Amino acid sequence: MTPATLAANNQPPATEAGGGDFLTEPPVTEGDWGKRPSDDRVVQRYLLGTWVGIGGILMFFAALTSAMIVRHGLASDWEPFAVPPVLYVSTLVLMLSSATVAKARSELLSGSLAGLRRWINFSACLGLAFLAGQILGWQQLAGRGIYVASNPASSFYYLLTAGHGLHLLGGIAALGYIWARVRGIRPWPTRRAAIEAMALYWHFMDVLWIYILGLLVFWR
Amino acid sequence: MTEVQVSPEVAGYTEVHRHPEPKSFIWKYIFSIDHKVIGIQYLLLAMVAVFVGMGLSLLVRLRLVWPAEPIPLLGWLFPVGAPDGVMTPEFYLAMLTMHGTVMVFMVLTTAPQGGFGNYFLPIQIGAADMAFPRLNMLSFWTTFVSFVLLMAAFLVEGGAPMSGWTGYPPLSAVPEATVQGLGQDLWVASIAVFCIASLLAALNFIVTTLDLRAKGLTMMRMPLTCWTWFVTAILGLLAFGVLLAAGVLLLMDRNVGTSFFVPGGLVVSDKQIDHSGGSPILWQHLFWFFGHPEVYIAILPGMGVTSHILSTFARKTVFGYKAMVYAVGAIGILGFVVWGHHMFVSGMSPYSAFVFSILTMCIGVPSAIKTFNWIGTMWGGKIRFTSPMLYSIGFVSLFVSGGISGIFLGQPTIDLFFHDTYFVVAHFHLIMGVAAIFAMFAGLTFWFPKMFGRWMDERLSKIHFWMTFVGVYAIFGPMHYLGLLPHPRRYAEITSVDYLMATGAEGLHTFITWAAILTITAQFLFLFNFVRSLIRGAPCKEDNPWEATTLEWAIPTPPPHDNFGGKVPHVHRGAYDFSLKGAKRDFAMQCNDDKAVFGEASGD
Repeated sequence: MTPATLAANNQPPATEAGGGDFLTEPPVTEGDWGKRPSDDRVVQRYLLGTWVGIGGILMFFAALTSAMIVRHGLASDWEPFAVPPVLYVSTLVLMLSSATVAKARSELLSGSLAGLRRWINFSACLGLAFLAGQILGWQQLAGRGIYVASNPASSFYYLLTAGHGLHLLGGIAALGYIWARVRGIRPWPTRRAAIEAMALYWHFMDVLWIYILGLLVFWR
Repeated sequence: MTEVQVSPEVAGYTEVHRHPEPKSFIWKYIFSIDHKVIGIQYLLLAMVAVFVGMGLSLLVRLRLVWPAEPIPLLGWLFPVGAPDGVMTPEFYLAMLTMHGTVMVFMVLTTAPQGGFGNYFLPIQIGAADMAFPRLNMLSFWTTFVSFVLLMAAFLVEGGAPMSGWTGYPPLSAVPEATVQGLGQDLWVASIAVFCIASLLAALNFIVTTLDLRAKGLTMMRMPLTCWTWFVTAILGLLAFGVLLAAGVLLLMDRNVGTSFFVPGGLVVSDKQIDHSGGSPILWQHLFWFFGHPEVYIAILPGMGVTSHILSTFARKTVFGYKAMVYAVGAIGILGFVVWGHHMFVSGMSPYSAFVFSILTMCIGVPSAIKTFNWIGTMWGGKIRFTSPMLYSIGFVSLFVSGGISGIFLGQPTIDLFFHDTYFVVAHFHLIMGVAAIFAMFAGLTFWFPKMFGRWMDERLSKIHFWMTFVGVYAIFGPMHYLGLLPHPRRYAEITSVDYLMATGAEGLHTFITWAAILTITAQFLFLFNFVRSLIRGAPCKEDNPWEATTLEWAIPTPPPHDNFGGKVPHVHRGAYDFSLKGAKRDFAMQCNDDKAVFGEASGD
């Protein structure tokens, strides 16, 4: 067997340092909306990464759930309370934001840059509105004299809502990042993958919230 | 970009596009996204941590044997904890806590997975890098922040925490209990940050293994090292989230006034603690749900490295490769359902204890399969007694010695007696601490020439092996006997404990401390060997000096920036094809096709 050597000038141009696709493809150009064969592989990898991340986050909330159930079972000091009504409004807002994120993704697939950015804007605003609703909920509770340390029920309420809120903030940061990079002039080889992953994460945040709300409403 | 020659061993390759090499110092060595640099960063972090942890263990041993002797410089370093160099009992507990924490998190969790795994997983599966290189960098630097937070606990008022590496409340949750504030908070914060770092790393390892394997490299052709890194990552993904949740709850108990873990009616130093209704047992459940898988996070990569090296130097294929893979999987799954065996004395229902006990015994089965197969791998082989081989055989020995005592401890009735005695200390140090460390030595001496292009001094390595091997048995062997007395853990001194003094525990302690000093001396020999070999070790120019089979030996030494220079070899066979019948050599590399192995004439 002879050593196989290729001349250096046959090398494809290197693009993104790390994180890019591993197949030989020319760099992306504008108007090329992630439809190259190699993009499917990158999308698949980003989605897999998101699913695995979802697994980790689920374990975090599963641990909190089991702690809540155990603590509830132990306690004579558990004082149930009704969740602030604003939560139902913010739930609707979050579900709506899932729809707008889905819309943003479909704008991407149909190749509309302006549409993508518009729906990302909407989604981010709805996400922030949801968080504002959560803060309003905390204020309403505080107004009723229910604080973090008042009793275990309130402790878990603040903990779960804050935990979900922090994770959602990560989703909003991802939206902001995508918004900024789509605006940028430089081609972005992993943009479709990033947007698909963000959309999946966002829908998961939606589902996670509905689970937490159910826990807070029904496991009092 | 320098051109990388494709090794003559490679039969067929896929071209992938290459990434430019960073030029500036900061991007190349500090905030590098190259998995090899990150792997070395992890290894260096672990090496600093292991010497810190070792120093702490020396203090612990000295305090036990010579409680009143002043230690030079210690009084200057810790004027409160060790006035005039004499350690207070509280200081002893703090050193004990920090020793455990540093060793478990910063050494056993980082070096095998973050260090060797980061460096060699992508190369062994034929990838240019991890799936998410930037995330990889973020994982390392988050780990680094966690280490800094932990070290900061030494420096704050009240000193380092003393609630043990398991951080049991109420000691860890009620500041009044230990007269400590910030130290314990920093400890919890450090652990929480470490959890985040480990979760990110686990995500990366899983996706890399599933998505970036070279053409022809099916899962069942992967080296066992890759299997163990993969399963370890899954364990980390599922376990660290739980510890993170527990850590957040503990921080809230300490700082916000919640009562998750602090029971009502608690009185500390004649003072009623203002908490109600929490459960310290809840912490134990959450902690050990993480804590038991953590044991396997520490040891599984060591098993992988051991299998890999035993096969390479016995010149035989791994005995029962599939059984090894399934055993790793079984250990991973069972690891999640046995956490209760750490809590037999917590007052759990005897029926629960029974179930946890049975499940614990079940882990003996895959563990025995692995041990049997390691011996089967060596049986009848043409063994080459290189230093990595010696360390690997040492691993098998320590794994068996430490595992046997686990069978005792897994019985609730026997554990009632042994719980919190030196028997437990001996058990977990042998199996989790020392065995895993031996695997790290094995991995380091095995891969050192590939990583740095130089050889470690073989003779020094062998001296180090024998000193350490004898030393650790001299330390932990007698501890089993101490446990039988029974000698409780965590006592700062035994001079006023009559029954221990009467049974000769003092003499054994002195012996153990001298053995520890011998073992620690050997580690400085290792450090000397490591540093000297980095600078002036004999150069290693060959691609494959050990005549091994996996892909890291089919690339230049040391590996170029993109690992394969954009030409990823195809994989034609399993990872351990040694001494094949009719082959031209006694090993067939994974990238060799049959023509290369058996010559032109052979068919399929």
